[in-house]
Amino acid sequence: MSWLIGGAMVLAAIAGLAVVLSRDPSRQIYALAANGIVLTLLFFVLQAPDVALSELAVNTVITPLLFLVTLAAARINKARQ
Amino acid sequence: MTTPWRLALFVLALIVLVPAVWHVALALPAFGAPTEQYGAAVNALLTATRHVTNMVAAVNFDVRGFDTLGEESMLVCAVTGAVVLLRGTRGESMTDRAGKIPGRAVAPRTDATVLVCRIAATLTLLFGVYMALHGTVTPGGGFQGGAIAGSSLMLLYLGEGYESWRRMVRSPALDVLEGGGAFVFVGAAAVPLMLGYALLQNVLPFGTPKDLYSGGLMVVANFAVGVSVAGSFGLLLLEFMEETRSPDSESMPDEED
Amino acid sequence: MSILPWLTAAWLFGIGVYGVVTSRHYVHLIGCLTVCQSATYLLLLSIGYWWGAGPPIFYDHPPGTPAVDPVLQALVLTDIVVGAAVTALLLVIALQVHKRRGTLDPQSLRPLRPSQ
Repeated sequence: MSWLIGGAMVLAAIAGLAVVLSRDPSRQIYALAANGIVLTLLFFVLQAPDVALSELAVNTVITPLLFLVTLAAARINKARQ
Repeated sequence: MTTPWRLALFVLALIVLVPAVWHVALALPAFGAPTEQYGAAVNALLTATRHVTNMVAAVNFDVRGFDTLGEESMLVCAVTGAVVLLRGTRGESMTDRAGKIPGRAVAPRTDATVLVCRIAATLTLLFGVYMALHGTVTPGGGFQGGAIAGSSLMLLYLGEGYESWRRMVRSPALDVLEGGGAFVFVGAAAVPLMLGYALLQNVLPFGTPKDLYSGGLMVVANFAVGVSVAGSFGLLLLEFMEETRSPDSESMPDEED
Repeated sequence: MSILPWLTAAWLFGIGVYGVVTSRHYVHLIGCLTVCQSATYLLLLSIGYWWGAGPPIFYDHPPGTPAVDPVLQALVLTDIVVGAAVTALLLVIALQVHKRRGTLDPQSLRPLRPSQ
């Protein structure tokens, strides 16, 4: 199974690169969600189901949503000023 | 500090650190070595002594429960800090009715979205509660169940709209969930101390392994942490959403978001 | 293969810091910090891994079967909670900066100029 673990780690490196290289924050949210899913798969392959569940719930669902609401609040506050 | 200076410093740090990282990577034990002593002892002993089958939850709530107490307090403090910062500039007038954004054109939600979100939010909430309660038996635990229940609150917002969501999920209820969960956890830690044992010592009967009630005090701690985390994430979403609204404008009943 | 996890963790941390250094938007900077945190998750879990072992859940197997290290997984769980809390607090601070200064660009925000 070493190809599975190696492949998952390479995918995690690529997903991290995608998060950094998407400069527009509204695009970066999708990259963050994809990063969360890739890391969930990696933790699952590394025999850590608890950690995979926690990573899925937090970094794939809740953190991108908080980012989205922060961007909306910043845009609306600027429009109000 | 301007960007070229920062990049120059970054490259300088890389020149120093990359050989060090390479040297350390070659010197670390090989990937895939057998488990070290502490982990092997936990794996071998905890099922018989604590009657649980999920070793990670046992480490989190019993063997290293003091660290989880610190982590739970840190989460409560972080959410409190966020709420204080946001309400400090916005004002404390937290009304029951949701604020409005004047002059913003909104599109109503489609029926498919509302239906799917209603089904999904209910199932997700049930799943989160199941995961928090069965933390000592299957993969899961207090934190995972609480995060899943928190995301069910967000699914509810997605399906219902901010106005209806504020009517269903009231701000005092979220405060009670978050603070009450942390209080029950701290109480579960302090009760053995008052009875004359060590802090967080398992004083309840252990129960049978693979059963819902197994691990004694761990079930109480799991549920308390799950409730507190769900309340924390719901409160964060509510405070962030209030930032996008102006609370002093009147709410028009036919306008929804 | 045996040093790939350590190099991947170092790579993730390195590009996370590069993203922080060259960022033009505070929310993008917080996302790059998330990448730095994921490097630590990968490192901790890779240290605890054992070839051919299963997860540390003994529901189906008896407690004697080989299992990976549960203490390191508990550490990573705490790490994820801390990461979520720090991200939320940093987002709130970014919102406050935007309310006071009107911009979220780190390179046009000079510290504590009284006229701005």
